[in-house]
Amino acid sequence: MGVFVFLPLVLPLTAWPIARLAEQHLHPRTATRLLTAVAGVMATCSTVCLGLVMVVGTAQLPGNPLPDGWSDPEVRAAVPYDEVVGKAAIPALCAVLVASARALWRHGRVRRRAHRALAGLPGTEVAVLPDDVPYAYALPGGRRGRVVVTTALLDCLEPAERRALFSHERAHLAARHHRFLLAVQLAARANPFLRPLRTAVSYTAERWADEIAAQAVGSRRTVAQAIGKAALVSRGTPVSSLAGFAMPGPVPRRVAALLGPAPAVRSWPSVFTSVGLAAWGAAAGTAVSAMSSANSAVTMFFILYAATPL
Amino acid sequence: MTEHRQRSRRGQGELEALVLSALREAEGPATAGWVQERLGGDLAYTTVITILTRLLAKGAVTRERVGRSFVWTPASDQAGLAAHKMRKVLDGESDREAVLASFVTGLGPDDERLLRGLLGHSRGQGED
Repeated sequence: MGVFVFLPLVLPLTAWPIARLAEQHLHPRTATRLLTAVAGVMATCSTVCLGLVMVVGTAQLPGNPLPDGWSDPEVRAAVPYDEVVGKAAIPALCAVLVASARALWRHGRVRRRAHRALAGLPGTEVAVLPDDVPYAYALPGGRRGRVVVTTALLDCLEPAERRALFSHERAHLAARHHRFLLAVQLAARANPFLRPLRTAVSYTAERWADEIAAQAVGSRRTVAQAIGKAALVSRGTPVSSLAGFAMPGPVPRRVAALLGPAPAVRSWPSVFTSVGLAAWGAAAGTAVSAMSSANSAVTMFFILYAATPL
Repeated sequence: MTEHRQRSRRGQGELEALVLSALREAEGPATAGWVQERLGGDLAYTTVITILTRLLAKGAVTRERVGRSFVWTPASDQAGLAAHKMRKVLDGESDREAVLASFVTGLGPDDERLLRGLLGHSRGQGED
């Protein structure tokens, strides 16, 4: 066990390069799936190890559920017992569980409320709301996923651009992008080092829908214009992050990507490019993370098994 | 327990839609009693009043005092009511981007200039 139990807590750092490079160099669909999978595995391993560290850390607290044989010096020597780290793991694990539960609950609540707001309307896939605030989004779940769009947004788009908007939102529903977004959100709460992956996936999911819309409409420029116009007409909305200072926000990057050529679908990039190196780095990090947490869990099981008088 | 509460809340939304559509069938302002009759008398008079008051708060109906009671006039249709409710859902959620994948997100300080540049450039290319 030893140091292995702490590895999965910091191994998410190996995914930072690919989170940064994937959006430019991989097809958005590949990038979304890859980053979500990496984030999911790493978050699970990190939480398992946090749990193991906590079990070890509580050994000396009165009233802990561990068997008496646990306090045997030989057993102690076999586990990385550190009083401070062990005790710190207790609030950390609680924080992870509470934050994840809150995120899940919130996700469900917004979806339920939004569906309830649409209850009086006929059950068509697209719900057009008369509102002077321009917005559009895909609302998953309920009896069927729905596309919600306001008249203010539709009024500023040409017919072809409206088709692009609807294709984009339908792509979100059809590919179930909300599951990817929820997965990376939970992962980011499980381990803060996974936050760059959440940002990256929320961008690549939009790009994925943009590419499907571009295929459906048959013109990349129409989709780019629809996004641009929609963003300019709704620019009153405050920016949620400070990313704008460092680099262009997601909207100009999406438009620029659509004005360029369609991304190539590659199965797996070569090791000898920067993106290949980053992808392999993240894959190796994920594998090591999985092995370390499995190793630690098995070790812990055997120690507990040996220490329990049966 | 929660499921029961959910169902009754959804029921409220449906009742609001029902009352609003009944009111929209009236020629001119109608009283709560008229609405109750129109709905077949399934709802108690006080329930109808409660729902009308809730619709008033949402701006979906207006009312006027005539004699000792109120007459009610629809101010919006079902879509308008849905729009109002949706705005409330969205405004109440500070981090709604986390749940709903919006078509566009907000623009940063330099993004607007950048975006206009990109679109202007592409239009020029498209006309060639």
